[in-house]
Amino acid sequence: MYTLHYAPDNASLIIRLVLDGAGISYRTALVDRATRQQDSATYRALNPTGLIPVLETPAGPIAETGAILLWLTDTHHLGPGPAEADRPVFLQWLFFLSNTAHADLRQIFYPHQYAPVDGHAAHLEIMANRMLRHFGLLETAALQHPKLFAAGKPLGVYTVTLARWAHLYPVNGPRWLDMAEYPTLAALARAQEARVETRVVARAEGLGALPFSNPEQPNPPEGSVL
Amino acid sequence: MTLTLYHCPDWGSQVIRLALEELGLDYRIRPMDWDAGDFDAPGFRAANPQGLIPVLETPEGPVFETAAILLWLNARHGGLGPGIDEPEAAAFLSWLFFVANTVHPGVMALIHPERPAGPGAAEETGRFALERLMVQADHLEALIRTRAPLWLTPQQPGLGHYLGILIRWAVYLPEDPGQRFSLDPFPALKAMLAAHEATPAARRLAVTDGLGAHPYTAPEAA
Repeated sequence: MYTLHYAPDNASLIIRLVLDGAGISYRTALVDRATRQQDSATYRALNPTGLIPVLETPAGPIAETGAILLWLTDTHHLGPGPAEADRPVFLQWLFFLSNTAHADLRQIFYPHQYAPVDGHAAHLEIMANRMLRHFGLLETAALQHPKLFAAGKPLGVYTVTLARWAHLYPVNGPRWLDMAEYPTLAALARAQEARVETRVVARAEGLGALPFSNPEQPNPPEGSVL
Repeated sequence: MTLTLYHCPDWGSQVIRLALEELGLDYRIRPMDWDAGDFDAPGFRAANPQGLIPVLETPEGPVFETAAILLWLNARHGGLGPGIDEPEAAAFLSWLFFVANTVHPGVMALIHPERPAGPGAAEETGRFALERLMVQADHLEALIRTRAPLWLTPQQPGLGHYLGILIRWAVYLPEDPGQRFSLDPFPALKAMLAAHEATPAARRLAVTDGLGAHPYTAPEAA
């Protein structure tokens, strides 16, 4: 049995939707960000960087959203295996999501870690423009590889969750993403929303009725987003 | 099997050339010239719409993203890290993604500090990047000391060479000498990289691609 260390609307959401979507059983363990539990010795023993999520497995704890997705893909056949022809495409877009799209979006959420205060306006403009280009590449990739970017599958879930967060965070920040310009991704968001596990997880984490097509600030029954 | 690597010496493609050389694979180099517009050529953009290297042409089509190529090569030929069905894969993948999505973009911000927030904020943006890299190096130092994973030794050199190239850039590329990374506070990390730069494959490529005698532990301009 796996244990997913999670906080509401954190990157653990991506793993939770993929696990539920595939019918893989697991238990959740809340990481209470309000008391900075991610900095506790217990949590740092699981993941020295303190980042959420961690998935505890029989092979030990796995940190990093992309690493967990890849490990689950190979363990539960959620995508192309190493010998399959579309494995290269799967891997390159998984890393693109992780090290380019997610990494740049994180800079928009936490600008104080990346740029001085008097550079935050320029930083946001530069990063938002980069993100729009990234979503443009994902739009084309999702159009070309609908099976890999399907709702419920690792690349599809990762993509629509990043788009969700772009609408919500930072809480008082300006909004720069219009999903109408990315029709394939907008359709993917609606397809993800129509899946039963999305309703279940949205209720558990307080994500509202339309968490991908019309995101609103979450109201989690337990735990803290930030 | 024909493999073709789009390559510039000491760019990101160096990581993949090191992996190919370590595995003893037959491969071709397709030299890339920035000034000649090679990165904007339609054929290249079809392989990688980001217009970045590395790209590896394989019999199954092109692959981009450094870590994706490493994992594809490892699955095909072994030897770069643990296989996906080995228990160590869990930790290896965690740290490979950490290097790809945290260390790598952080080093890019350190060597191009004008990019994330404009030229006016470059000095402080670079300083933030250096501070983050010091924390990341602490994590890597602790990992090597406490776990000594086989996948950070020349027996499984995929991730070690990736880190070696990133650290190399962080040491010698920042224009401001005050913003250059130093390995001195991280002896276990330094020893790990010294072992990687001493492999026969790394020594061959250091000559071929002009990386100097100690490309990771005492880098100098290519």
